[in-house]
Amino acid sequence: MSLLDETVALLDDARRIYAGSELADVIDDLGTRLAAPLRVAIAGKVKSGKSTLLNALVGEQLAPTDEGECTKIVTWYRDGHTYQVLLVPHEGEPRQVPFVREAGSVEVDLGDTAPGDIERLDITWPSQQLRDVTLIDTPGIGSLSTDISDRTWSFIRPDDDDTPADAVLYLMKHLHAGDLDFLATFHDTEVSQPNPVNAIGVLSRADEIGVGRLDALGSANRIAARYRRDPRVRRLVQTVVPVAGLLAESAATLTEDEYRALVVVADRTPKETEEALLSADRFVDTPEIALTSLERAHLLDRFGIFGVRLATMLIRREVVANARELSAELLERSGLDEVRELLRTLFLQRRDLLKSRSALFALDRLVGEHPVPGADALRSDIERVLAGAHGFAELRVLSSLRAGQVTARDEVVKEMERLLGCNGAAPARRLGLDDDASRAEIETTAKEALAAWRRRAENPLTQHDLQVAGQVIIRTLEGLLTDRT
Amino acid sequence: MTPPTTPDSAAQTVVDNALRACSAFGREDLMARLESTNAALAGDAAHVVVVGEFKQGKSSLVNALVAATICPVDDDIATAVPTFLREAPSPRAEVVYADDLDPEIPTAELVGERIDLNDLHQYVTEHRALDRNLDRTVRAVNIWLPRRILAGLTLVDTPGVGGLGSAHNTPTMGALPLADAVVFVTDASQELTRAELDFLHRAHDACDNLVVALTKTDLYPQWRKIRDLDEDHLRRAGLDVEILPISAPLRVRAVQGDDRELNQASGYPALVRFLADRVVKAAQRNAQRNAGVEVSAVCDQLASQFSSERSALADPERAQAIVDDLTETKVRTEALRSQAARWNQTLGDGIADLVADVEHDYRGRTRMLLKECDAAIDNSDPADTWSEFEPWLSERVSREVLENYRFLQDSAATLSALVAEHFQDASGEVLDQLAIHNPIPIMGSTTIDATVDTEKPSAAARGFTALRGSYMGVLMFTMIGSMVGVALGPVAIGIGVIMGRKTLREEKQRQVANRRVQAKNAVRKYTDEVTFHVNKDSRDTLRRVQRQLRDHYSARAEELHRSTTEALKAANLAAKQLESDRAKRIADIDAELARITSLRDMAQSLVVGSAK
Repeated sequence: MSLLDETVALLDDARRIYAGSELADVIDDLGTRLAAPLRVAIAGKVKSGKSTLLNALVGEQLAPTDEGECTKIVTWYRDGHTYQVLLVPHEGEPRQVPFVREAGSVEVDLGDTAPGDIERLDITWPSQQLRDVTLIDTPGIGSLSTDISDRTWSFIRPDDDDTPADAVLYLMKHLHAGDLDFLATFHDTEVSQPNPVNAIGVLSRADEIGVGRLDALGSANRIAARYRRDPRVRRLVQTVVPVAGLLAESAATLTEDEYRALVVVADRTPKETEEALLSADRFVDTPEIALTSLERAHLLDRFGIFGVRLATMLIRREVVANARELSAELLERSGLDEVRELLRTLFLQRRDLLKSRSALFALDRLVGEHPVPGADALRSDIERVLAGAHGFAELRVLSSLRAGQVTARDEVVKEMERLLGCNGAAPARRLGLDDDASRAEIETTAKEALAAWRRRAENPLTQHDLQVAGQVIIRTLEGLLTDRT
Repeated sequence: MTPPTTPDSAAQTVVDNALRACSAFGREDLMARLESTNAALAGDAAHVVVVGEFKQGKSSLVNALVAATICPVDDDIATAVPTFLREAPSPRAEVVYADDLDPEIPTAELVGERIDLNDLHQYVTEHRALDRNLDRTVRAVNIWLPRRILAGLTLVDTPGVGGLGSAHNTPTMGALPLADAVVFVTDASQELTRAELDFLHRAHDACDNLVVALTKTDLYPQWRKIRDLDEDHLRRAGLDVEILPISAPLRVRAVQGDDRELNQASGYPALVRFLADRVVKAAQRNAQRNAGVEVSAVCDQLASQFSSERSALADPERAQAIVDDLTETKVRTEALRSQAARWNQTLGDGIADLVADVEHDYRGRTRMLLKECDAAIDNSDPADTWSEFEPWLSERVSREVLENYRFLQDSAATLSALVAEHFQDASGEVLDQLAIHNPIPIMGSTTIDATVDTEKPSAAARGFTALRGSYMGVLMFTMIGSMVGVALGPVAIGIGVIMGRKTLREEKQRQVANRRVQAKNAVRKYTDEVTFHVNKDSRDTLRRVQRQLRDHYSARAEELHRSTTEALKAANLAAKQLESDRAKRIADIDAELARITSLRDMAQSLVVGSAK
């Protein structure tokens, strides 16, 4: 029986026990959630570029972005057949509200409802990119308007409910100590250690780290690599990647007009371009560039100084020859492709595990808070699944590794992380093979690894913790060998 | 190092004249007093502290200001130790290590190890500052540059507030009360955050000469909107602070190409004006005022010895009465400089009380903190939270230490004012008595009031000055040094991976309880250790305050005693003077008194002029 089936069975049990009570609806919701796409929240400090990244991931300008603080309400973006916006208030029935799509982004008419009374906005938007994942945009933390921050906190650390998100992309500008506290709120207490399993760190606004210089992304990569090595960051997120959100968003939505305008800018000598791009104000005020100042301001708005510098350089050096190529090149350089890849390998490939995990924790808490006859038996069943399911055992070993409780040589730790699915949950990824590796290759490699790990686990000199962890790895490898799907 | 000449020659001339007068009348004791006034006039550079969050462009701002790449700028690594920039004829740099620190010496005068300016980045950035060898940890960097803009200034580039695992922001806060001006740096990428505004609030409380520099305006086309939003936030927070938008790359380019227009666009001229008008000039006015007050006081002392003599000469009948009065006054001045003097006792008792009060205050804070820690530990599993707990605790502890030092500073200032008052009461009577015999009222009642008025704050500020040298030293370095030395021990996490079914929950609970006990013990050990260091530091500081105050007022008492003795001697001589010589001597004395009076008028006009 798969984990998902076991979870569904437990939910059925719960439904029976609580039949007729007000909790029945909540349990039904948990069931619906299991079947729905994975929920990924985009969280982070105020102005870290959450909405921008969301737009880039969807490839459309949906979430409004602005220089000031912009996102004030938790907003869900999910796939569907029609375009519609649902307002879910804290009290009362959800209702549909009118919206317009202005200058690209979706502007919702809230009517007389104060933002504080709204639990969330639920936007249904037919989109290929939202098919497998529902994205959740959150207001920033560290906001000057206290209640905006509170809204994010209550979303991520609700007082009486489990987190509505299954996984989270945590955006950080250059990291602050405060960021660590924030990440810690994602840690559940059930799997006893903090869990780097459902969080990816994104070093956002990467272009600004190098104050817009052309090598800015190189700097951002170095910084992200340093954070990846930092043990305190490692125990909170699985990995850290840099992304230049503005660049990604604009590249994903680049228009032919914009491309033509960039060609005009690139038409001048490198020296002249450099002079003009010395500051934003100067660029807008350089009449020698054959564009209106409105057009120049629009370019800056969309690409930033860094984006204009990079795009004109790419055009001048003839790296790209049309809008499509420019868009692809900018997307790759912005780091967005990597974020997408991580979403796929780390979250989507183990979506069943993540969703079951959310559901079981929620159910466990629910049952614990509402003791009725039969609840104790249900709780021990939940615990049996949590303790017994191999997927959760893997997560526990991974957390222990990241928290430094299981220690081994660096290369052994790296191998363990890989086998546990840190580079992707697919068998080839776990074994460190190419994605197109044949079944035979996979089996050979898995057998070799299995033999090595059996020796290690049986060796009396191996530390106890590593032995226990080794047993889990052995089961993982056995699973890879028997799993034919 | 020769102090740079200040344009403030009027004050200088007055002090020099007073020095010549003291020398002529053989009053070396008064000369010593004026020498220190002179030094203050010439060299007391105003401290401008540049603060802001991590990676907002503080070092770039400092570099662009002095038009040289001095403070290392890196995309990733941030400044970790404070850098002090001052003016000198030729550029040089020194590094101050932890073991060079001496709380008796103000940081500005610490002698460090001479280094090459080009190697600076090795010393001030994060990696080097976290050296395991604590004695060789870099604590500060002093840089001298031949730049006119630095005249009369000390520019302090501080480590950013925030940053991964840095408990460095509290000393930055601690340096603020002593800053003459604060430049708060925030970049144009976003509006002010709550943390920044909180910081601004506290900074404004500590030093109201504050300006916000909005950096990187070249990079963000929307900087005007950000500025407007920031202005809004500041207004709503009730902070009357100016925002100066600036761009370092534009300034650098402008200086390279000598481009006046570009320089204007960079926004730096406004910052330079702020430094010149609101910082340097203000500091000079202050020094000028002090010079005026000191010279007036010296003039009063000089005049006193002549005035009694003149009275005795003018009215021989009363000569004996005057001598008797002066003899009595002499007894008083003797009492004033003795151990038993009221001011001296106030000081001694006050310091003893203060030591106890300050320690009690800290103990109270620690107790509250421990309660908070226990609650936090009971609400979480130390295995989850320990790595975050440690920086949190060290930050919380340093905040308590800072508050405790504030308490110390306030109490010391109050005590200093009290001592000043007691001294003033006693010495005022003496001065009045000397003045009774003054036939020509050189000290009109109005000017006496002015003297008392102006002298008082400067006497009360005495304790503060005593702290000033030590405060920077103690807070910025010693305190954090002792805290860096104290480590919060690890909490053994126990068996990490638990596999199994039934006992999972119970076993976990048992381990968590065990970890909590360990964590609480570690916290107690840590706070004990810190308390030990803090108590020692505050005792040392208070003792230093006591010594400085005692030396100051002893010297004043000594001067008064000397003046009285001289006056008595002169009065005695006058009584024996022959009739024929009297008229001539009176004319001489009147001439001397007239000179002193005119000097005093000049000094008073300095005081009045500086008030404008």
